[in-house]
Amino acid sequence: MKPRTLAPHESMDLHEVLNFKTLCLAKSKLMQGLVFDQELKALMQKDVEQSIQAIQELQSVYESVPFQAPVPESRPEPILNDGGPLQ
Amino acid sequence: MNNDYLDPINALNMPEMADMTLAVDFLMRAKEGVRNTAIALTETVSPEARSLLRRQLSQGIALHQEITDLMMRKKWFHPYELTEQYQLDQLAAKNTIMIGQMNLFPDDTSRKGMFDRTPDEHVGGHQA
Repeated sequence: MKPRTLAPHESMDLHEVLNFKTLCLAKSKLMQGLVFDQELKALMQKDVEQSIQAIQELQSVYESVPFQAPVPESRPEPILNDGGPLQ
Repeated sequence: MNNDYLDPINALNMPEMADMTLAVDFLMRAKEGVRNTAIALTETVSPEARSLLRRQLSQGIALHQEITDLMMRKKWFHPYELTEQYQLDQLAAKNTIMIGQMNLFPDDTSRKGMFDRTPDEHVGGHQA
């Protein structure tokens, strides 16, 4: 019987790996604007492309975690406004 | 190098220092990525998740190799000549401390109000 959802431990590790990959994508993209060396920039571009694909693969597997839920279009409350919950 | 970010002396070989620093960060992330993925794999049981992590692990190992090779070629990383590496480490630490002590950013960077409402909302009335 193949269980519908992922096991607890692997689900948490997928959460960690997905977040790590997301941050690496953000950072590599950001740094491409800063580096001077074009070979380094090209290697970061390769990382960006690989990371995008890896993240998409992770996202689909991550959908079968036990704590899955529908993802809203965008954060309901704006993060920066004065009264926002995250102040 | 000194604490005055406007002093042109500080721009001397700044590109190389910046590139080296950004490359070291890139290398560190690649190393961390390999380690994180390997650990995650050892906690993963579902076949689909395992095959995904195995692929990402080998891809990560390959990228780590590429970054290491580039850095050695550019003389940003000296795994064999440790005296060279020592000098780079100390120099980077010294310069980064100096940058850390510079006053680079305006005091208030909250940019309050620039992002949390539609542009004309606060004007109100028919002008909104």
